[in-house]
Amino acid sequence: MTANAAPAPDHMPPPRSEVGVIGWLSKNLFSGWFNTILTLISGAGIALALIFGLIWVFRDAEWGVIAQLGGRFIIGQYNTDLACPGNNCFWRPQASLMLVVALLGMVWGMTRDDVARNVALAVGIAAAAFAFLPYGFDKMGIDVRLLLLANLPALAIGWALARYTPLGTGMRVSIAGVVIFILTLLLLRGVSWLPGMQPVSVIYWGGLMINLILAVAGITLSLPIGIALALGRRSRLPVVKILCVGFIEIFRGVPLITLLFMSQVLIPLVFPENFPLNSLARAGIIITLFSAAYMAENIRGGLQALHPGQAEAARALGLAGWQTILFISLPQAIRNVIPAIVGQFIGLFKDTSLVYIIAMLDIVETGRTFILGNPEFLANAREMFVFLAVVFWIFTYGMSYISGRIEDKMGVGRR
Amino acid sequence: MAQAPASQRQLPRFLTYHGIPLWRNIVIIQWTAQIVSAVVVVALVAWFFTNIGNAIQERDIPYGFSFLSREYQTPIGEHFIPYESSDTFLYALGVAFTNTLIVSVAGVVLATLLGIFIGVARLSNNWLVAKLATVYIEFFRNVPLLVQLLFWFFIFLTLPPVREGYVIGGLFYINNGGLSMPWPIPSNIGLGLAWVGIAVVGLIAGMLVDKRLTARETLTGKPAYPFISGIAAVAAIWLVGWILLTIIGGDSPFSVSTPEPQGRFGRIEGGFTARAGLLILLLGLVIYTSAFIGEIVRAGIQSVGRGQTEAARALGLSPVDTLRRVIFPQALRVIIPPLISQCLNLTKNSSLGGAVGYTDLTNVAVTMTQTAPAVSIFMLIMAGYLAMSLAWSLVGNIYNRAIQFGGRSRL
Repeated sequence: MTANAAPAPDHMPPPRSEVGVIGWLSKNLFSGWFNTILTLISGAGIALALIFGLIWVFRDAEWGVIAQLGGRFIIGQYNTDLACPGNNCFWRPQASLMLVVALLGMVWGMTRDDVARNVALAVGIAAAAFAFLPYGFDKMGIDVRLLLLANLPALAIGWALARYTPLGTGMRVSIAGVVIFILTLLLLRGVSWLPGMQPVSVIYWGGLMINLILAVAGITLSLPIGIALALGRRSRLPVVKILCVGFIEIFRGVPLITLLFMSQVLIPLVFPENFPLNSLARAGIIITLFSAAYMAENIRGGLQALHPGQAEAARALGLAGWQTILFISLPQAIRNVIPAIVGQFIGLFKDTSLVYIIAMLDIVETGRTFILGNPEFLANAREMFVFLAVVFWIFTYGMSYISGRIEDKMGVGRR
Repeated sequence: MAQAPASQRQLPRFLTYHGIPLWRNIVIIQWTAQIVSAVVVVALVAWFFTNIGNAIQERDIPYGFSFLSREYQTPIGEHFIPYESSDTFLYALGVAFTNTLIVSVAGVVLATLLGIFIGVARLSNNWLVAKLATVYIEFFRNVPLLVQLLFWFFIFLTLPPVREGYVIGGLFYINNGGLSMPWPIPSNIGLGLAWVGIAVVGLIAGMLVDKRLTARETLTGKPAYPFISGIAAVAAIWLVGWILLTIIGGDSPFSVSTPEPQGRFGRIEGGFTARAGLLILLLGLVIYTSAFIGEIVRAGIQSVGRGQTEAARALGLSPVDTLRRVIFPQALRVIIPPLISQCLNLTKNSSLGGAVGYTDLTNVAVTMTQTAPAVSIFMLIMAGYLAMSLAWSLVGNIYNRAIQFGGRSRL
């Protein structure tokens, strides 16, 4: 009966050209002649790049140059005979790594948050996976491999500590973070009176280790300094304001590598000749101050975007000036500029590669000096720098992934 | 009358200000804070410079600015103004400053053009193009500039030498020394400058024609072809100027000089040769910065409400006109401030030139510290960079104000 009649127009299925794969293709790739040409050109470009890229990666490229350097990418000359007679210092960077992994485990156990879990698991598993690198046992001993595998139990211990002991509060985990950072530096530097802990001069530290130490120190210190500078710049007190503006503009106006080189020349003149301020500490101070000047501007942007009614309401409710800033203005201001702050952190991490100007062998400089010192590898330089680019990309992309997830959770950009 | 609290009444007069105890009086607290911070900073700076002064005397380190008039005696690899080793330090610093300035200006122009292209591509309706632009941005933004520069540097290093280099159409020569290309050479300075002047006048006239015809088109609703007419006006003025100058001066204002390999080693004469250092630095800076500018342009375009696009399309504007006449003028207000800061960053990042063999300001200064007082040199180059930063900010702010004002007043 009526069942065979044509269904009402609003019950008809959409035409086949509007839905499914064909619909998607014609909407997104082939709508109009211009779009079709664009698709064809960029498709051909992508195909060519993929074909030649894959041929290069899997057939032409000689990745031996990466294997040749191996651990020097990670710790530089730390475990060479010069730095550590007897070559038995390898366990110290590895113990530091374990402490860091345990800390990540603690953060995971404390927050029980899926971002923290993903990061902790990724780092822990990646570290353990290094135990299975296809080196001969003469090059990479069983002890090194076992210590790398021990990152997994370290992760579990950290997680359990935060989950089942009173350690698992935000404050205590933060304190643990600071303690672990100092412990890491102590472990790496060594203590002269402790057996097995002979001091290793920072001039032999190198590789990714240096980039990470500088980045972590810079990130944790530049945020509070930047906040202080931003508040100072907005202060009603003319002297404080002028000082902060002067500091910010001078550090923002000059390139970082100029400042780094200047620090190498000037700071030894400022302090007595035997003052124990090594190149790593100098670089750390300069990178932190440089980053803090930029951070101040980001935070100032967040403070300016805040409606003045917030502070006025807080004052009207009887909060003191410092309480208004600390509990009302700053949390909202920082929340609003999280993307900019993380962008600054990423910039800081990338900038740690500039320490080459003061003759520190970070991961990039390790690769560069190796190529320049061994001209037979000159043709392999592109493998080297593609590898370095990927290493940096993994870290920076990881940072923006974390920031994106945090923004989602906090509802940045939504009210 | 309300009575003051007992504690206040008992305070001696010198411990109060306008009847309020000193430690609770906001005026006193603020002044104390300012004085204390000023004293601390002044003391720190004084301590800093006293120590440097003492160290200079104790360790017999040269100081002062008298070295500026000495001969520098060191070659500078790349220079755009004439330079000899016998020139003074001051002049050598000027040469290095020009190098940084040229690479910065060229870099900013190219990076902005590429960045706008990338930003628009990122928002393309075409899925493939949008994804391609996203990958470009996410990759080049997240890899340190130094790594990118060194990648290009070693690519150039492994190119064949001049004699076996690549030749494209007999006009472009690419080899490990750099890129040689045809270049216009003025037959004499006066004629050349005169034609450049005419060219600028032509451009301005073209823009005026475009503006006038657009206004007429808007008013009458009849097509007046503003863009094509503008370009025609520019071409006509350039051509007439060229012919007039050729008749008056007896020679064409510019002739094109093509690079030619000379002699046994194939040394390239003529044309313009951009040396490897300049090319690598420019390539790295432009690619790196364009990724950031692409994001800025995308954010700017997205900040303009969707309704603007829809309204423009509904009024019958073509997609290109919608972007050019409706979206972009509004997006510029959001784009310009972060764009200025990217220009500053590019200028400062050009200090990495030393890593790829380009003699920029920082590179020359670092070399100079071997024969001249470091403290003085750093003061000078800090002043140089601060001056460049200020100049960019000034240019950007003037432009920013112009578009803000113009944009609002036309509404």
